Amino acid sequence: MIKNRVKELRARFDYTQGELADLVGVTRQTIVALEKGSYTPSLLLAMNLAEVFKLPIEEVFSKEES
Amino acid sequence: MKMNIAVFLRILLFISLSLMVYDYLKLEQSFIQMERGFIDGFSLYISPWPGYFFVITTILFLFANIVIFIIVWRNKNADKRSFLTFEYDVSDERAVGNTRKAVSHAFSILLVYSLLMIGSYMYIPNYFVDHIWYPLFTTASIPIVGLISYLIVYKVLQYK
Repeated sequence: MIKNRVKELRARFDYTQGELADLVGVTRQTIVALEKGSYTPSLLLAMNLAEVFKLPIEEVFSKEES
Repeated sequence: MKMNIAVFLRILLFISLSLMVYDYLKLEQSFIQMERGFIDGFSLYISPWPGYFFVITTILFLFANIVIFIIVWRNKNADKRSFLTFEYDVSDERAVGNTRKAVSHAFSILLVYSLLMIGSYMYIPNYFVDHIWYPLFTTASIPIVGLISYLIVYKVLQYK
């Protein structure tokens, strides 16, 4: 299981879901699903998100033991 | 919304084609029955509406296809390589993944439904002679059931 800090980081950077979606090239629904934790992104999307938040990928996404 | 229109138009296309073919088959069937001596004559009203319905639906279908193709082509985030038919949502990677899952679910449903439909022909063997509508409309119902299953599964995945 992969958990992420997208919601927290988006709030910190003061982006709306739509703005973040445009920045990483996905639809707003994908950002909603990511924040809910119901969608595991591809490596490319994860890297794009990390790039937007100017953080290493492992600080945005982490593995959760189930 | 785009997918609802696509599925609706595709279903309408199958229905309109079935109605047109059914109209033609009714006429052909009467001629065959007369040739074989089952009936002496027949009267049949041939309505142009099944034909009009099919032509209008086809035009709408083609128009919607072109519009959606242009929309997809202009969307820089869309995965254009995955765009095979306009029912497929390729707006981003999650949509492509959901489309794949929905298609595989619809395929599984179709496998079961086709089996039931083919099996149902066994019960009344004269379907093809007296009730020509039955094999025709059951055949048409196969892609329609597939499309409806696809739409339902996709919508469930989209809002999950």
